[in-house]
Amino acid sequence: MDKLITLWEGSGLYNLELGQAVMILVGLGLLYLAIYKKFEPLLLVPIGFGGILANIPEAGLAISALDQAIGVAKPAVLQQIASALGATLDPLSGVEAWRESLKAIAHDAAAPDQLRAAKDIVMNVGYGDGMLYSFYNVAIASGIAPLIIFMGVGAMTDFGPLLANPRTLFLGAAAQFGIFATLFGAVALSSMGVMDFSLNQAAAIGIIGGADGPTSIYVASVLAPELLGAIAVAAYAYMALVPLIQPPIMRLLTTQKERQIKMTQLRPVSKLEKVVFPLVLLILVALFLPDAAPLLGMFCFGNLMRECGVVERLSDTAQNALINIVTIILGLAVGSKLMAESFLSFETLGILGLGIVAFGIGTAAGVLMAKLLNMVSKMPINPLIGAAGVSAVPMAARVANKVGLESNPHNFLLMHAMGPNVAGVIGSAVAAGVMIKYLG
Amino acid sequence: MQEPELLQEGLSLMGMGMGFVFVFLTVLVISVTLMSKLIGRFQPAQVAAPNGRNNAKSSTPKGQDDEVMAVISAAVHRYRSSRRK
Repeated sequence: MDKLITLWEGSGLYNLELGQAVMILVGLGLLYLAIYKKFEPLLLVPIGFGGILANIPEAGLAISALDQAIGVAKPAVLQQIASALGATLDPLSGVEAWRESLKAIAHDAAAPDQLRAAKDIVMNVGYGDGMLYSFYNVAIASGIAPLIIFMGVGAMTDFGPLLANPRTLFLGAAAQFGIFATLFGAVALSSMGVMDFSLNQAAAIGIIGGADGPTSIYVASVLAPELLGAIAVAAYAYMALVPLIQPPIMRLLTTQKERQIKMTQLRPVSKLEKVVFPLVLLILVALFLPDAAPLLGMFCFGNLMRECGVVERLSDTAQNALINIVTIILGLAVGSKLMAESFLSFETLGILGLGIVAFGIGTAAGVLMAKLLNMVSKMPINPLIGAAGVSAVPMAARVANKVGLESNPHNFLLMHAMGPNVAGVIGSAVAAGVMIKYLG
Repeated sequence: MQEPELLQEGLSLMGMGMGFVFVFLTVLVISVTLMSKLIGRFQPAQVAAPNGRNNAKSSTPKGQDDEVMAVISAAVHRYRSSRRK
């Protein structure tokens, strides 16, 4: 009978907490969005599944060996941990109270060397870091996974349309206003006492408006790792919603006549220009903003591999096999941050709300900038392509093309919109560099 | 952090960040334009070359096409006539 009780007490059903149950439902919801609604399935399937794995009770897939041991180890081991952490356990209170107090000490009070000693003890007893916890440390805490994905994005990007019409870079710059306006919004909300975000957290939330998954994850992992789960989910979910969020704003800010503007054919761009461009960008980054060097350096490297034409194999791997492998690990690692205690809070709602505001403001700023450019430049510029300045390659460019076709079925804006679109990627990486420089 | 101070920090980060993004991309626009001009001046053939090659490519397949068509139709003809016998 005792054995039966042990088995029952070790079951998931016995240990399931309300928060974990809710988070498993959230994970299933993400999977539903990814599989049936085709919301960025490449990322949301691993994230949703990782979120479910992270919340399996007792399995501890997303926590460190020490947390795991504190959560489930026998009293004798708990006493060893306590002595390593320099704490005394009250023999009168129960084992559950010990666990609570040890957890609090391990997360706040303990010195690094004490933590290391405690970790050695639990490792000796046979506890190990959870799988997702290790994924997170290797892939995101080190910054490697978002950077490798950025290299792949670079290898997939054709800068031809941008080189043919460099002024579209301004549209990519204007759309970054969404990032900074949202940052200010988050700060204003916390100064009014509605939410409680630090400046670092506000910056990490703002970068959602850059509509660039790897950049968002990179900045969040540097500035506010505790919000990473919510930020990544918001960034990818809204990127999938670009075709719904953008068109109303674009129609609101432009007249029918402006939407019908035809743009002149892009000039052909020579191969040499395409090869030199990533190098020019890299040198500018080196000269002006070394903090953006990890992101833009990898981006330029990927693009150079694509354009130089002598390393087809490397370029092919960066665009396909490597980016796919890293996406799986990155998705699961982001999922590990979808644990109930950090995700189920009022702040998450705030992040989701601010994220959509960031997208809207970015789109509006891009369109307005395009109208301004159209007024001052000789070459006509259709304001719709300004909306593509919020990265989200290539979705935002397709949206601009689609809205343009509604007004004039013979006006194909896709190639013109690709210019601001890739400019937006550069712009959000620069914005990320500025924030890391200012706050890091 | 004091609350008015936080708001001020946010505002200054917004101004500085947006300003820097614009300055950086302006410099990029200028250098890209310069680069394109330089390359255009020193290597004008580079721009023309792909066109020339394309023309050459598209002209050869046309000749080939006719030849291939002739060969195929001859082969089909012979096959059909051999089948009939």
